Amino acid sequence: MENLLSVQNLTKRFGAVTANDNVDLDVRKGEIHCLFGENGAGKSTLSACLYGYYRADSGVIRFKGEIAELNSPADALRLGIGMVHQHFVLVTNFTVLENIIVGSPEVGMFLSKSAARRKVEDLCRRCGIQIDLDREIWELSVGEQQWVEILKALYFGAELLILDEPTAVLTPQQSDQLFAILDGMRRQGLSIILISHKLREVMQSDRVTILRKGRVVATVETSGTTAEAITALMVGHKVTKHVSDRSIEPGRDVLVVDRACALGEWGEDVLRDVTFSIASNEILGLAGVAGNGQKELFEVLMGVRTLSSGGFLLDGDAVAVPTSREMLDRGVGLVPDDRFREGLIPEFGTAENLVLGWQRKPEYRRGPFLDRRKLNALAERKIEEFRIVAASADLPVERLSGGNAQRVILAREFLHAGSLLLANQPTRGLDVAASEFVYEKILEKRAEGFAILLASEELDDLLRLCDRIAVIFKGRIVGIVRPEETTLLELGMMMAGDASNLDGHLNDLSSKALRQ
Amino acid sequence: MGWNVACYSAAMLCALFSTAALLHLSGGDVAKAFSSLVIGAFGSQKALLGSLAKATPLLLVGLGTVIAFRAKIWNIGQEGQVLAGAMCAYWASLWIGPLPYWMAFAVLVLAGLAGGGALGLLAGILKTRFGTSEIISTVMLNYIVIFLLAYLLDGGPWMESGVTVAYHQSPPVNTMLEWPTLFGQGSAKLHVGFLLALGATALSAVLLERTPLGYEIRAFGSNPTALRFRGTDISRLLLVVMLVSGALAGLAGAGELFGTSHRLRAETLLGIGSSGIVVAMVGGLRPSGAMLAALFFGALKSGAIYMRLQSGTPAGLVSAMEGLVLLFFLCAAVATRIQVTVRSEVHA
Repeated sequence: MENLLSVQNLTKRFGAVTANDNVDLDVRKGEIHCLFGENGAGKSTLSACLYGYYRADSGVIRFKGEIAELNSPADALRLGIGMVHQHFVLVTNFTVLENIIVGSPEVGMFLSKSAARRKVEDLCRRCGIQIDLDREIWELSVGEQQWVEILKALYFGAELLILDEPTAVLTPQQSDQLFAILDGMRRQGLSIILISHKLREVMQSDRVTILRKGRVVATVETSGTTAEAITALMVGHKVTKHVSDRSIEPGRDVLVVDRACALGEWGEDVLRDVTFSIASNEILGLAGVAGNGQKELFEVLMGVRTLSSGGFLLDGDAVAVPTSREMLDRGVGLVPDDRFREGLIPEFGTAENLVLGWQRKPEYRRGPFLDRRKLNALAERKIEEFRIVAASADLPVERLSGGNAQRVILAREFLHAGSLLLANQPTRGLDVAASEFVYEKILEKRAEGFAILLASEELDDLLRLCDRIAVIFKGRIVGIVRPEETTLLELGMMMAGDASNLDGHLNDLSSKALRQ
Repeated sequence: MGWNVACYSAAMLCALFSTAALLHLSGGDVAKAFSSLVIGAFGSQKALLGSLAKATPLLLVGLGTVIAFRAKIWNIGQEGQVLAGAMCAYWASLWIGPLPYWMAFAVLVLAGLAGGGALGLLAGILKTRFGTSEIISTVMLNYIVIFLLAYLLDGGPWMESGVTVAYHQSPPVNTMLEWPTLFGQGSAKLHVGFLLALGATALSAVLLERTPLGYEIRAFGSNPTALRFRGTDISRLLLVVMLVSGALAGLAGAGELFGTSHRLRAETLLGIGSSGIVVAMVGGLRPSGAMLAALFFGALKSGAIYMRLQSGTPAGLVSAMEGLVLLFFLCAAVATRIQVTVRSEVHA
C-alpha cells in the first residue's frame, strides 16, 4: 500500500524541551492510524506540525510523495489535510449545509446551495453518515456536530483527516457510530490519524504509532498485538491495573442524599429527586454523559449550589444550609472536574495551593501570620510523596502539567478530608500511568474507611473500581447497579437514557438476579 | 532582574524625552524647566520636605489601591474616598469636645478611615447585593461626594462665614486639632501623616504577603471561583477589601486637611485619588513599589510648583508627565512579561 503521508526525522523543540525528536511516521492510503502516548509524549505537537499550526525545526513531511511546505493550516487544507478539533468551530444557528460550505473557496458572492447540497449528500452516502442537512447546529447532538466537522473537512477535499481525541465528548454508543463512519471513510480510501489515549479505540485502528517522551517507540499493526503490549510500550514498563479489594465490606452510611432537587442558571431543573447513599469503605461510581447533572450534584454536595428541595445527611446529621466552609470542616474533600478553575489558584505555588481552604487553620499559622516555613516543609513532603514534578514549591501551578496539578489537588484533599471524598473526573486528561496513580490513592482511601463518590467517563475504570455505580441522565439517577452484574453496553444504554432500552435493561437485570 | 530594571529605566527615559518634546513644542525652555523641577523637588531641605509631604497622601491612596487591585477589585473611587475621609474628619472635629490631644488625634484618624471606608463599603455592598460593577459605582459615588462637598462649602453649613467673598472653603480647623509637625515649618513642613503612611506601607506588605487575609485577597484576584469552592465567603471578602481600600484613601484626605491645608477645600484634595491610582500601578501593585512611586510623584508635584514659578511652564504639563510615566510604565510591565514568556519557553 502506498504512503499518503510520510514524515522523516521530524524534530520540534520548544526551547530546551524537545517535543518531537526525530519522529518518523508513515500513514498509508485508506488506513486508520492511531497516535498513542501519555500526556506530553508529543502527540499533539506532531499533529500540529502536520496541520501546519507549528513549523517543524527539522525533518521532511511528504504528502502524496511530494515535499509539503506547511506554514499554516490553510496550506494543509489546500493539500488535503483536515483536522477535527476537540472543540467544534460551528455556527450554531446555521444549518448543517451552511456550516459545511461556509468558507469554502467555491463559494463566491452567491451561495450555490443546490450544487453544494449534491456534493455533501454524495459525501454522506459514501461515508455512511445519516444527517439532515437542513437542521440547525443547536438541534444536533454532540456526536452529530462532530460529523458536521468531519463533513466540512471532507467537503474541503481532505484526504487525510486528523482527529484529536474525538471520543472525549461522546457516549460509548456515539463512539461506536463514529468508528462506523471512520470505517466507511477508510473504505473510501481516505486516511485518518486518530489521537487517543483510550485503548479500546486504539485497538480499532489499523496501525498504531506509540510515542514516548517525544520519540517514536514503535509502529505496530494492531491486529498483531495486544492492548497490554501497547500500554507497556507506551509507558516503558508494565502498568498494574488496580482493582477494588472486594474483601473490604462497606460499613455505615456516611452520605445519604434524599430527593435532592436543584435549579440551573435559567431556572431549569438540573437535579431531580436524586437519591442515593454512600457507606464508609465504599466507592459509588457516577456514570453519565457530560452535562447530565454530575457537576451540579458535586456542587450541591460541596455547598456551593443551593438545593431547591430535598436534602442530605452527612454522618447522620442533616446539613441544613450547607456552605463550602461547613462541608470542608466536616471532612468533605473535593476533586473538581475543572481543576484549574475550581480547585487551584493558578498564580499560587504548590505550597500555597496545598492549604487552599485551610489557610486560616491554626496549624498553618504562627500568631496572625501564615507559617511560611511550615507550608514549604509541607510542600516538600507532598511533592515527594505524590511525585509532583515542580521546579520549586513556589512555581505557580499554572505552569504545571495537568497531571501534576491534579496531584497537588489530591495531596491537599487526602491530607484534609476526613470521611467523604467527592471526585469528579479525577483522571480526565491524564494518561494511563497517572490515572492509575490516582486510582491507587483513591483505593487507599477506601481501605481507610472513606466514602467516595467517583464520577468518570472511563466506564471500564468505574466497573473495576466501584462497589456500585449510579447512572445519571438529565439530572435523574436512572439506576444504581453493581459492576459484577453489569456490562459496558448496559451502562452505555442507561447513560443514553433510552427509556425503552432502560426498562428492558432493568428487566434483564432482574431476570439475571432471578437466575442467580 | 536585569531585564526588569532595563525595561523600567527605558520607560523612565521615554517619559522624560516625551515630556521634553512636549515642552519644546509648547515653546518652553527644556533645560531650565527640568533643572527648576529638580531644584524644586530636591534642591533644599525645604524642597525635600515639600516632596515628602506631597508623597504622603499619594502613598496612602496608592496602598489602598494596591490592596483592591491585587484582588482584581477595581475600586477607582479614590477621589471620592479621599474627600469622604476629609469630610468625616472635619465633621468629627466640629463635635470633638475637650479631649486630651492624643485622643482627639486618634478620633480624627479613625474618622478619616471611617469616612473613606464607608464610601468604599457602600460600593462593595452595591456589588454584592445588586451585582453593580464597582467600576461604575465608585466613579458615580465620586460625583455624589464632590457635589455634596460643594453644597456644604458653598452656602451649606460648612461655608466660611463672615466674609464678603465666597471662597468655597471651610473656616480653618481648630488649631488645637492640627496634626503634629515632624520637620519644618510654615509652608514646607512634614506632618505626622508621613509616619502613618510609612507604617501603612509596612502593614500592607505584611497583610498581603504574610496573613491569611492577604492570601485570600491574592487568591481572589487570581481565581475567585476556586476560593469560593474552598470555603471562603467571597462576598464578605469583597466588602473587607473595599472597606480597607477606602479607609486608606480616607486617611489620606484627613491627613491633608489636618496636616497640611487646615481648611476643607475641594481644590487641595481633588487629584490625589487619581494620582494615587497611578502610584499603585507604577509601583507594580506592591506596597514597596507604591512607596517608591509615591516619592517620585510627590517630588514631581512639589518640583512642579517651583518649575512654574521659575520657567513659566504650564501646570498641565505635570499632569501630562504623570500620564506619560504611567503609560510607559505599563508598557514596561508588558515588556517584562514578554521576557518571562520567552524565558519560560526556553527553560520549560
